[in-house]
Amino acid sequence: MSSVVSDMQGARSAHMKVKRMLPPVVRGLLWALIGFLIVNTLVSEVFDRMPYHPYVTRPSVTLGWVAAVIGWLLGVGAWEGFMKPYFGGTADWVVPNDWRKYFMYSIDHKVIGMQYIFSSLGGFLIAGFAAMLMRLELMKDHMWIFNNPGAYLSTVGIHGTVMMFSVGTVALIGGFGNYIVPLMIGANSTAYPRMSGISQWLVPAGIATVVLSPILGQWTTGWRGYEPLAGQDPAGIVFYYLGVFALTTSSLMVSINLTATILFKRAPGLTWNRIPMYAWGMLTVSLLNLIWLPEIQMTFLMGLLSAIIPLPYFSQLGSPLTYMEMFWLFGHPEVYIIVVPAFALWQELLPVMGQKSLFARQWGIIGLVFVMILSGLVWAHHMFTNMRNSQMLPFSFFTEMISIPTGFSFLVAIGTMWKSNLRLNTPTLFILMSLFNFLIGGVTGVLLADPVVNLQAHDTFFVIAHFHYTIIGGMVFSWFAAFYYWLPKFSGRMYNEFWGKIGAIWVFIGFNGVFFQLFLLGLKGMNRWVPVYPSYLQPMNFEISLFGFLLGLGFVFNFLHIAWMWHKGPVVGNNPWHSKTLEWQTSSPPANTNFDPIPQVIGSFYDYSDSKLAVATPYSDKKS
Amino acid sequence: MGDILAFTISWIVVSVLGEMGVHALFQKGLYYYTATTQAVDGEAAFAFILTILTPVFAFIVVMIIYSMIRFRARDQEIRPSRKQFYNNKAFVSIWITISIVLNLMFFVHPTASAVEQMFNSERARYNSHDLIVNVTARQWQWFFNYPQYNIAQAQDSNGNSILYLPANRTVKFVLRSYDPMHTYDPYIGVVHGFWIPAFGLKQDVIPGETRYLYVHTTKITSFEVNPMVRVQCTEVCGPGHPFMEAPVHIVSSSDFLKFVKQQQQLQAQQS
Ligand code: HEM
Ligand SMILES: [Cu+2]
Ligand SMILES: [Cu+2]
Repeated sequence: MSSVVSDMQGARSAHMKVKRMLPPVVRGLLWALIGFLIVNTLVSEVFDRMPYHPYVTRPSVTLGWVAAVIGWLLGVGAWEGFMKPYFGGTADWVVPNDWRKYFMYSIDHKVIGMQYIFSSLGGFLIAGFAAMLMRLELMKDHMWIFNNPGAYLSTVGIHGTVMMFSVGTVALIGGFGNYIVPLMIGANSTAYPRMSGISQWLVPAGIATVVLSPILGQWTTGWRGYEPLAGQDPAGIVFYYLGVFALTTSSLMVSINLTATILFKRAPGLTWNRIPMYAWGMLTVSLLNLIWLPEIQMTFLMGLLSAIIPLPYFSQLGSPLTYMEMFWLFGHPEVYIIVVPAFALWQELLPVMGQKSLFARQWGIIGLVFVMILSGLVWAHHMFTNMRNSQMLPFSFFTEMISIPTGFSFLVAIGTMWKSNLRLNTPTLFILMSLFNFLIGGVTGVLLADPVVNLQAHDTFFVIAHFHYTIIGGMVFSWFAAFYYWLPKFSGRMYNEFWGKIGAIWVFIGFNGVFFQLFLLGLKGMNRWVPVYPSYLQPMNFEISLFGFLLGLGFVFNFLHIAWMWHKGPVVGNNPWHSKTLEWQTSSPPANTNFDPIPQVIGSFYDYSDSKLAVATPYSDKKS
Repeated sequence: MGDILAFTISWIVVSVLGEMGVHALFQKGLYYYTATTQAVDGEAAFAFILTILTPVFAFIVVMIIYSMIRFRARDQEIRPSRKQFYNNKAFVSIWITISIVLNLMFFVHPTASAVEQMFNSERARYNSHDLIVNVTARQWQWFFNYPQYNIAQAQDSNGNSILYLPANRTVKFVLRSYDPMHTYDPYIGVVHGFWIPAFGLKQDVIPGETRYLYVHTTKITSFEVNPMVRVQCTEVCGPGHPFMEAPVHIVSSSDFLKFVKQQQQLQAQQS
């Protein structure tokens, strides 16, 4: 690997003054536009010409989009950084060592991780803004913000899609995973840095595609793209399929890369039973991705084909339920893709913050692995309203059983806290809040696993509350913990403890204020996907919206605090938490080369019985 | 030892308080308004699960709060905790055993037992006294048809669909999704969800399939009495989805026969 880096560094010095060109992002946009225009024109005007046809047709926009994405990726730097060297050319790609490196193709896992963090943050803010619009609309029982229900439903769809595919599956995996995992396992790069550089740029492309979908027409299916309804939707649904395809492809590439990195690039001495918990989480979640993402991509491809050709796969002539079944076959593992990294974070942070050995580590790992395995067996609990009664029992059974390995994460967390020397700082607070919120998500999950209860609660705001408790409560709160925890790693600076705690308490109050009431609202008869609802539900919705805005502001407050402290926070040492894991055993922020020399691991990272480090440096490369 | 004792006492206290709170909720009615035996059964399952899970919930929450207070670092200096242990076989074994036992129990009761009850309520169809209502879902309207009474489409004087049911009867809903006005278009059917909130259960209506839903009504009530007594579409079915509702009336048998007469007359006038 280091050959690639030196190759690139050599290229930088040799070609520093060679040529001036457009900023890569601008060039990417230009090439995307050119690609789109050429291919779209060819398809709609030449190959598929029909009298009185519009310039943009479903087939032409699909193929034009493919060309645009390829143009975007190449323009942003994949041309010099990937294609040319692939065909034997020199990598004459100048990577400036300042902020500009974040706006171009890169092969440094730290830069890529940062880019992913920003992309998913962008997705979070956009989709969060959509959520605010939805909550604003729901303050009244009739249409008043949107002027038709289709616009509201498109907003719901954009909110859900962007949140799930660009935040839930990306923020802790593509973002923190890419940045932290190589550091954590004592490597200087990931296994496939060039592919990784490309995969990141699919995220903004995917988000933009989904967000721009209303240009082609409203779509009403929500984030699941349910057929056969999608078959009737105007062409906006095409951009839903394409955008999600880009986002899932990105996640797939991240997973291939992280799996290979964790398997093959560990520092000497980092044996299987010493792999850090967060890396374990990334490994299990990557395996989940590798199993299920291709499945959903194939499903979306079929949906796309029935939208552009059209083929009647899922209409009444085909098999309407097949789409739902294929969707949830992926869709349930998806929610575990989102929370498994959060579990891993609990187990990563609590030993550090309590300066106490990780409790029952093997059970924590067993839990992660069994959650991964079982999550493929429970999908039909999303379809109790669609199946024969006799089919319910096995799916109920597995759904209830999955709470056992899930519980192990709690077992490890509380066992570690017990008798520890717990620093009650902002990351700890966020982790404890995540434990609490996810617990509510879990308890209501047991209720929903029961078919009789499910038949009442399904597709109501009870379910909305349940899954936001698991996703925001579990994953987003842990995401914030990760932000605060690793901020000194990224920047060498520390956040402000007082404002950090205010931020944590703020979002905790806002979050519970919104979503706890949603349980009651659902039981009172509020169904999903409705901008217009019976007036008896209005007072409660009004109040929930107020908490919703409070929550939205709380998120923004935390981000502003982090951004501010990133630049202006007090400088701290390399290892402010006194953590034993490897990412803290190098400088903060890390230099271009993470470890020089590569450390040798000689002990457990989670043994805090003394202050001896788990690594012996320097490690001499020649001996091996 | 002192910590374990203090924790256990707090846990028990919180559990008891929690159970009292949950019990107060049951008294108010978890489902807010129930009008069928199915809804009452569902509510009971809900209550049972909550009752059992309250101490479990309390255990974790008290554990979090107890550790937050009792084991917090009291000064700025960072040093290893004085107690270091990697495992506690007894605690882990108890934890795993309890979680397996609890889940197996939930599976037997209420999961399997309640589903069994649903089967049984369906077996009531052999009773042949069921009222059959054909429900047709189209974008974006419900149609109710009573084949036993030759009512093709129950409607009020404005032509809006209405659903009348007798109290204390088993009703068999036959659910189909297609557009009776455009039967020639096979692409027009989408999935809808047939739900009456006060009835405690729902069923998706799938194009190309016929599905059944059985309920046993328990009281005389109506949309005017409680807005939860309404038919509501719960599966997103296009822009008209929020408007896909219809009022429901559950009436005495004699009132039901009046309704039937009136609908038959209306139909005769129209044809
Ligand atoms: C400020 C925080 C948030 C608020 C106020 C909020 C609110 C909402 C609302 C009102 C709905 C529509 C429910 C419906 O009618 O079906 C919704 C749906 C959804 N939300 Fe959120 N949400 C928030 C954050 C998130 C986050 C962080 C995620 C995931 C990472 C997320 C994922 C989803 C998904 C997947 C749906 C389903 C959309 C669909 O049915 O297509 N939300 N949210
Ligand atoms: Cu409908
Ligand atoms: Cu609907």
